[in-house]
Amino acid sequence: MNAATLALRVEDIEAGRKRTRRLRFLAYAVILIAVAWSIEVIVVRDTDWSRITLASLLDSAHRFTQLDTSVVPELWEPALETVVMATLATVLGLIMSIPVAWLGAANITPFGKASYAVGRFLMTMSRSVHEIVWGLIFVSAVGLGALAGVLAMAVRSIGFISKTIAEAIEDVDPKPLEAIRATGGTKFQILWFAILPQIIPVFVGNMIFEWDINIRRSTIMGLVGAGGLGLLLFRQMAMSNYGGIAVVILAVLVLIILGEIASHYARRAVI
Amino acid sequence: MHAEPSSELRVRNLGGAAALASDVGATARPADATPATWSRFRYPQSLYKYIALLGSLVFLAFSIEYLNIDLERLPGLLGRMGEMLARRYVPPNVGHVLNAEYWHTVVETLQMSYFATVIGLAIAVPLAWFAAHNITPSRRFLYTPARLIIMGCRSVHEMIWTILLVMVLGFGMLPGAIALTLYCIGFAGKLFSESIEAVRPGQVEAIRATGANKLQVFVYAVLPQVRVAWTGISIYSWDVTFRAATVVGFFGAGGMGWYLRESVQRVASKDVAAILLSIIAIVILSELVSAWLRKHISRAVA
Amino acid sequence: MQAVLEVKDLHAGYAEREILKGVSFTLGPDDFFAVIGPSGAGKSTLIRCVNRLVEPKSGQVLFNGVDLLKLSYSEMRLQRRNIGMIFQEFNLIERLSVMDNVLTGRLGYTGTLRSILRMYTKDDIAQALRLLDRVGLSEHVDKRADRLSGGQRQRVGIARALIQNPKLLLVDEPTSSLDPKISREVMTLIREIAAEFHIPVLCNIHDVDLACDFCTRVIGLQDGIKKFEGTPAELDKAALQDIYAMEVL
Repeated sequence: MNAATLALRVEDIEAGRKRTRRLRFLAYAVILIAVAWSIEVIVVRDTDWSRITLASLLDSAHRFTQLDTSVVPELWEPALETVVMATLATVLGLIMSIPVAWLGAANITPFGKASYAVGRFLMTMSRSVHEIVWGLIFVSAVGLGALAGVLAMAVRSIGFISKTIAEAIEDVDPKPLEAIRATGGTKFQILWFAILPQIIPVFVGNMIFEWDINIRRSTIMGLVGAGGLGLLLFRQMAMSNYGGIAVVILAVLVLIILGEIASHYARRAVI
Repeated sequence: MHAEPSSELRVRNLGGAAALASDVGATARPADATPATWSRFRYPQSLYKYIALLGSLVFLAFSIEYLNIDLERLPGLLGRMGEMLARRYVPPNVGHVLNAEYWHTVVETLQMSYFATVIGLAIAVPLAWFAAHNITPSRRFLYTPARLIIMGCRSVHEMIWTILLVMVLGFGMLPGAIALTLYCIGFAGKLFSESIEAVRPGQVEAIRATGANKLQVFVYAVLPQVRVAWTGISIYSWDVTFRAATVVGFFGAGGMGWYLRESVQRVASKDVAAILLSIIAIVILSELVSAWLRKHISRAVA
Repeated sequence: MQAVLEVKDLHAGYAEREILKGVSFTLGPDDFFAVIGPSGAGKSTLIRCVNRLVEPKSGQVLFNGVDLLKLSYSEMRLQRRNIGMIFQEFNLIERLSVMDNVLTGRLGYTGTLRSILRMYTKDDIAQALRLLDRVGLSEHVDKRADRLSGGQRQRVGIARALIQNPKLLLVDEPTSSLDPKISREVMTLIREIAAEFHIPVLCNIHDVDLACDFCTRVIGLQDGIKKFEGTPAELDKAALQDIYAMEVL
């Protein structure tokens, strides 16, 4: 390659790189403008800055630090209720997920595209509706209390659990099935010895993961009347007891951290 | 995670070698040697498993008792629920949602979630870099704080963030936007950092060997590897944030949720039904757009 | 002739296990050293200790008179620019083009902002083109790295190492992932280029025959100890038995 062709190629490459760089800048500029617009709307127009001063912010923050320890003895029962709700909800969610996963797994769905679509639609519905909305629905259906929370979280969990089971079923390795069939096994034996051992490790791990998330959801179910620590939080809010609110939220944090630790070790034991 | 294979193997091999040796010319095994048995149930692992199973069943029974769930009422529950929902919520008062004010709140919801997703993702990227054990620029000073921030943002439910911020900042879109941003940071931060920890170390080595600094290593060795996964995670984050944005208004932040709360307080069930349906419809619409985006952007980014 | 690289009593490893137990040797500007030995002998660790991708525990690594082990992180980074490295698994950035991969060799010389915006100088691009032409990859300049064959990828790796204008080449098992014919081509290319640009080479290799065909001196490592140092001619059966005591040849 002589110097002239080299110089030409370099110019060519430089020009190409400049072009790509400009396009990328343009894309970022568009995103930035959109964000700037939303900032303008949210921060500038919508917020009443005359009411928010540094002093008032610090004052509010300060009020949260005056922890109201009188609330502590009231924490234990709702906390236990929260954990129990989450656990029950995950189990119930699993039970309800099985038929949905059956419908939504491409290889075993009973009525072809129709049932597959129904299965996938149910999965999407369950996930698209926020747990608070499910909570509202079930509170009006079965009344205030833990049952509504359990049902709401169970239905919400269907989306994730059934999706994982369906994917595990779709990814199942056909070779063990062949092997069992070759030895003359019945359909049940195929299910028990070839399919389930492949699926169970996958979804047990995911169930523990979902349980962990349900603990988090369970803490706020009480905000719409569905039991657990959320109810206590709601009451403290109604009384405008900043210190009490802070204590409940700390309890929530502790609960969630404990849940994370528990689920971490549980997943290690299973995998 | 995995048992120590080498020691077991050695033992087995020795056993195998000894058996071979004995077959080859040495004396046969004595006739009164105990025959090897194999049982599926090995003590004490099986005992632990049965205890765990039993314990779970007991716990389940206890839970049902503790939460005062009346099992006898359950079978009829579905029927009664359906009947009551039909009575109270059908037909939904669609007129309630078909006005300009409501659509204004829909736009508010979109703006809040857009704000939260973009800014949340922008903050989550460097945070995830600091929180990734393999690539973090400083294991001593940046790793732990970054992990704690991400965990903190994730642990607190977005509604709790909303409530706290509304108490401090008053009603409006700002507390909602900030709450959603914090939620997004926690959500995306964890997923981002997990994908960073899964990158192939060889490429990182190679860039380090050229004398690149830590930021260059991140940009050149890590980002190209996680680009595809991060695009998917970003779209997923948008889905999740938008879904939460439709509800934060219920607790005083801006958006559609405020309308919902207002109707719930008036016990105007048919209005509530209409709003719930519109929320569900809009979320599903958003998810359809995301799914389309995911398919087309993945191809472009891969 | 001043030595380019002097390794003195190098120890490396973890608390439970020492991998390098006091290795010493000297590399001159015209040398092509091959490091041979059974797996687990510490060959990879030795190579990586030179540019401190692995941190040694004690000893000295004198690179053109400078003890690398005493340098701070940023000083070491500057020195790494002068040491090019070629890897067993090529370690190219799969999603980037061949050109971009070779240009990453200039990262040590490019400012952070410019490198993030991928604004390399025209000289860098020209040098990259020249090197790619030298290794025979002119037509593949814009191809994505993961679309290349093994031999082609290793040649990109060679170009990437060379664009650093290194004073030393570290080569870690360059041919383990390649078939025999391509292996020879790659080794020939490395030897030619090293001679052409006057760069000494420290090369890790497990194929003894290949090592002897291309190097000027051999170092035999076993269990972290240098068991042999000499010319390929001096590497006779007795010496090999000594190095590979635990392996059957």
